[in-house]
Amino acid sequence: MSARTKAHAGPILSARGIVNRFGKQVVHDKLSLDIVRGEIIGIAGGSGSGKSVLLKTLTGLHRPNAGEVLLNGKAVQSIGATERASLIGVLFQRGALFSSLSVAQNIMLPMREHTALPPGEREQIAAMKLALAGLPADSGIKAPSALSGGMVKRAAFARALALDPKILFLDEPTSDLDPIAASGIDALIRQLNDSLGITVVIVTHDLTTLFTICGRIAVLVDRGLTVDTADKLMKSDHPWIHEFFHGPRAEGAMKARKTSHGN
Amino acid sequence: MARVPAIAQQASPDPARPAVVVSGDGDRLSLAGDLELATLAEARDALKKWSKQGKSRSLDVAGLGSLDTPGALFLCGLRDKGAELTGIRAEHRALLDLIGGLDLKPLPKVDSVPRWRELVIKLGKGAHDARYEALDLVTFVGRAASWTGNALIHPGCLRPASISRHIAETGIHALPIIGLMAVMIAVVLGYQGVAQLRPYGGEDFTINLVAVSVLREMGVLITAIMVAGRSGAAFTAEIGVMQTREEVDALKVMGIEPMQVLVVPRVIALVITLPLLTFFADIMGLIGGAAISQLLLDVSPMQYLTRLPHAVDGSDLFVGLLKAPVFAFFVAVIGCMHGLRVSGSAESVGRETTRAVVKAIFMVIVLDAFFSILFERLGI
Repeated sequence: MSARTKAHAGPILSARGIVNRFGKQVVHDKLSLDIVRGEIIGIAGGSGSGKSVLLKTLTGLHRPNAGEVLLNGKAVQSIGATERASLIGVLFQRGALFSSLSVAQNIMLPMREHTALPPGEREQIAAMKLALAGLPADSGIKAPSALSGGMVKRAAFARALALDPKILFLDEPTSDLDPIAASGIDALIRQLNDSLGITVVIVTHDLTTLFTICGRIAVLVDRGLTVDTADKLMKSDHPWIHEFFHGPRAEGAMKARKTSHGN
Repeated sequence: MARVPAIAQQASPDPARPAVVVSGDGDRLSLAGDLELATLAEARDALKKWSKQGKSRSLDVAGLGSLDTPGALFLCGLRDKGAELTGIRAEHRALLDLIGGLDLKPLPKVDSVPRWRELVIKLGKGAHDARYEALDLVTFVGRAASWTGNALIHPGCLRPASISRHIAETGIHALPIIGLMAVMIAVVLGYQGVAQLRPYGGEDFTINLVAVSVLREMGVLITAIMVAGRSGAAFTAEIGVMQTREEVDALKVMGIEPMQVLVVPRVIALVITLPLLTFFADIMGLIGGAAISQLLLDVSPMQYLTRLPHAVDGSDLFVGLLKAPVFAFFVAVIGCMHGLRVSGSAESVGRETTRAVVKAIFMVIVLDAFFSILFERLGI
C-alpha cells in the first residue's frame, strides 16, 4: 500500500453526532454512522425521513447544524475540490448528466478539470468507463436526452466513476427502472464493488437492492440510524422496521435474496 | 526476476503526492509506486521509448501500490502490444482481468461537416422551419380566435377568477415599470427633438414632436414590447411547466379543453390590460414631455397643458389605443402557443420562452408597420 492510502486505516467515512434542523423540524438528531472500506451499505427510510439530506450531509453538499463528517479521517468540508472529486463519486437520482454535453463529454469533464491528461487519452479512458458501466461505445456521442432511463443511470455511473473515487454514493439507483434494468444496475454495483473495491453507499427504497447486494442496512427511524445486517433487522421490534421488512412487498425481495445468496 | 531495491529511496519526497517510479534497464523494467490518473502521464513518458521496442519485454509490477482503472487500462494496452506483465498481485489481477476483458472500442467520431456546407444546411433548415412555424402560427391564431369568440358568445364558459388574476399579474404589476419607461422615452425624444430643431429655430415644436410620437407610436409600442417580454414570457413558462408535469394532459383526460381554460383567459386578460396600460403609458409620456419642456424650453407645465390640444387631437390618441388590443391578442396567443409546444424536458421550457418573446416582439413591430401603412392610406 502506498503512503497515501496507508495514512488512514479507520472507516473510510465516519459521521459523528449529525444534527440537521429545518426551522423547528429536527430531521436528524445526533446521528452517527461509520462506513467500512469496501462494503456496500444501504440507507433506507420512509419518505420524508431525511434520506436525501443525509446523503447531502455525507457528501459535503450540506453543512449540518451540528456534528461532523470525516472522510478518510479529514473533515469533508475542509477537503479541497480536486481531492474531494477523486474521493467521492455521486450518482444523482435523475442522473444529473449535463444536457449540453454528449455522454462522453460528461465523463471527460471531471478529467479535464482535475487532471492534465491529453484529449486522446481522456477519450480512451471515457470509452473504458462506458464499457465498464455496460454501455456501447457509440452511446458516447449521444446526447443525454437521447438515452433511455436505464442508460441514463449507466452513463451517470460512468461519470461518477470518472476519477476512480474511493466511495460511491448512489441516490435511488434503481428507481424509475423496469425490473430487468434494475437487476442490471444491481449486478453492476456488485461487480464494481468486487473488482474495484469501491465502497458503495446506496440510498434506496428498493427492497430487492437492499436484500441482495447490501452487506449492511442503515434504517432512518426516529431521527437516528439503526444499522445492522438484513437478517438482524428482520428480527427488530421497532414497528416501522418490522413493517418495512415484513410488508407484502418484502416477500418477493426475500425470495430474490435467497436465490442470489444461494449462488 | 530481480526487484530493484532502490525504489523506496527514489520515491517522491512528499508522501501525500502519489508517484510512480520506473527502474531497471534494457527489456526488463519494473514499476513501483502508485499508477493512478494523477501519475499516468509520468509513467507513459517514462515508458515511451521502451514500449516501442519490438523485442520481448517484461514489466514487473509487483512493487505497485495502488492501481486504478486508467492505470489498468494503460497496463492492458502495454500487454496488448506484446509486453509481459510479471509479478501481478492478487488484488491487481482482478482489476486487470476486468479491464482486459472489456470489449473496448474507441469512441466514434462525430460527423463533421465543412463550415460552408453547415451554413447552407442551416439556411435550408431555417427556411423549412420558418414555413411550418408560420403555418402553425396561423392555425393557432385561428383556433385561439375561435375559442375566444365562442367564450364571448357563451359567457358561461368564461372564467372570471382566472381572467382577473391574469389582469392583476399582467396589468397592475406592470404599472411601475411601464410608467418609468414611458417617461424615459419622452425624455429621449425631447432631447433629440430640441437638438435637431434648434438650428431651424423650431425648438418649440419639440412639444408637438414628443406628444404626437408618444400618443401615436411610442406609448403603445413600448408597452407592447414590455408586455411581450414580461407577460408573454410568463405565459409560455407557466403553460410550459404545466406541460412538463403532464398537467395539460390531465386536463384533456378530464375532458377540459386546454384552449378554454389556459389560453382564452390569458388572451382576454391581456386584450383588456394592454389598452389600459397603453393609456397609462401615454399619460406618463405626456408628463415626461411636460418635464422636458420645463427643463429645456422653459415652458411651464400650465403653458404645456394649454399648448397640448393644439399639438395633438383625439385621433392621435385613438390611433395608438386602437393598436393595443391587436398587439395584446398576438402577444398572448404566441406566448400560449409556445407554452403548449413545450415537450417534456425542462430545457425546452427555456427554449420555447426565448422563441415566444422573440416572435412576439417581431410580430408587434411587423403589425405596427402594417398599421402605419393602413392609417396613412385611410388618412387618419
